Amino acid sequence: MSQWVRSLAVTRMLSRLPLSRLNCNLAGRKVVKFYMFPVHRMRLALLAAGSLLAFTNQLCSQAPESHVKIELIPENTTLQAHKTFRVGLLFRLDPGWHIYWRNPGDAGEPPRVQWELPPGFVSGPILWPQPVRLGTGSVVDYGYENQVLLMAPVEAPAPPAASSTQGIGADVKYIVCREMCIPGKAHVTLSSPSSAQQSSAWRQLFEQTRAQIPRSAPTTWQFSAKSDPGYFNLFVRTASKVNAVTFFPLEAGQIDNSAPQGFASTANGFRLKLKKSDLLVKPVATLKGLLVFGPDHAFEIVVPVAPR
Amino acid sequence: MRKRLAGFVVVSTVLVMGFCPAWAARAGDHAPDFTATDSGGQVHKLSDYQGKFVVLEWTNRGCPYTQKHYSSGNMQRLQREWTSRGVIWLTVLSSAAGKQGYATGPEENAYLKQINGAPTAALLDPTGTLGHLYDAKTSPHMFIINPQGILIYNGAIDDRPTTDVADVQGATNFVSVALEEATSGKSVSNPTTRPYGCSVKYRD
Repeated sequence: MSQWVRSLAVTRMLSRLPLSRLNCNLAGRKVVKFYMFPVHRMRLALLAAGSLLAFTNQLCSQAPESHVKIELIPENTTLQAHKTFRVGLLFRLDPGWHIYWRNPGDAGEPPRVQWELPPGFVSGPILWPQPVRLGTGSVVDYGYENQVLLMAPVEAPAPPAASSTQGIGADVKYIVCREMCIPGKAHVTLSSPSSAQQSSAWRQLFEQTRAQIPRSAPTTWQFSAKSDPGYFNLFVRTASKVNAVTFFPLEAGQIDNSAPQGFASTANGFRLKLKKSDLLVKPVATLKGLLVFGPDHAFEIVVPVAPR
Repeated sequence: MRKRLAGFVVVSTVLVMGFCPAWAARAGDHAPDFTATDSGGQVHKLSDYQGKFVVLEWTNRGCPYTQKHYSSGNMQRLQREWTSRGVIWLTVLSSAAGKQGYATGPEENAYLKQINGAPTAALLDPTGTLGHLYDAKTSPHMFIINPQGILIYNGAIDDRPTTDVADVQGATNFVSVALEEATSGKSVSNPTTRPYGCSVKYRD
């Protein structure tokens, strides 16, 4: 075999390597690119190929591209007997990436959490902040971008040992998507604040997130829903004028996620026309979902549906 | 360079933006007829298959939900079983050019060989016409059409909406259940379920 043919073979071999090998994310931020130059001496080529592979493999294995960082943080660092305190899974996402709400919409799935608690501790369900609509075409999802804190209440036993929060942890399974989806798993243990500053920043984060948790609608509001051909009509009597609202269904397959929602002000409230899902073949007894009026302003509702 | 590319993407997105009407594909209704070209260049019309059961399977080889069913061999097994029983199985690729899951005919043929895939045909739908006609949301998203041309199933492949390969075993496969029922003359007990997976990577 001539030297030319052999070096061509090496170049071909290199060019067949998957792109990810040669273009990997370092420390989640810097993208390291490796460019290949024509190599004429075969030994040099092999040596270069070998060290290049070893080097990039090492980099990639150290810093896989997960596009999300997950941390488990406490709201308070001191525990009181029989008192409920909150812990939160803080998801920090790369720009453009998202995770999903409890009803993910047309695609994706919500993060699943398996808590690890010391004896005597009891955890409650995740408190899901109000989501945002993701996607503008015929596929619409519900989820979170940039950053979200998924809080959960935990009740301490009596009397809690001083160091007892140390055993708190969680196994998290999630899928993070942008143009593509990447499933991930993480095991996290409860972090301790490194400074008074961080401790107060975390408290503030819990405070902000609390405002994003949907509340019950005012008792003076009145709701009714009607099943019409192709649509649900939701009527809401409010105390004050409402200019805009978005409905986020809690149950999959009831409404068409991507269809525009027909909002109309009425004399004493508003009406929302929600297109039925193509997947809906049976009558719906109740509409369950969120009415989101803006940032930090969402109500969770359950409205019986009157048949036609 | 990056800026210029971004500018190009923005401009071309604006240019191709428009309304793609999503037609209803409701279980119990007539399945909309379509004409599509497969990875070998052959044209398929739904109406050509009148008298047979037809399965439509939306796919995207880069999607971890799709990969769950291919790396486990589950999808290939279903394709072999049902095509051997006379069912027409059409895998549909609605990923737009440049998006995850897009493939040319030769690329798709090579891939089918590599994964030992066994659909009747793989339909290339980079414009998303067929996808929007059926309002396919996810990969996978499954549809079944009966010999009379009625859509009898629209939904998920099974009852485990995860990417975990271990979940394939023990799952209730909705497609097999529906086909078993329909081919033995029964009505489909579960004609719609929520499809799960990655969003179909339609043209912007």
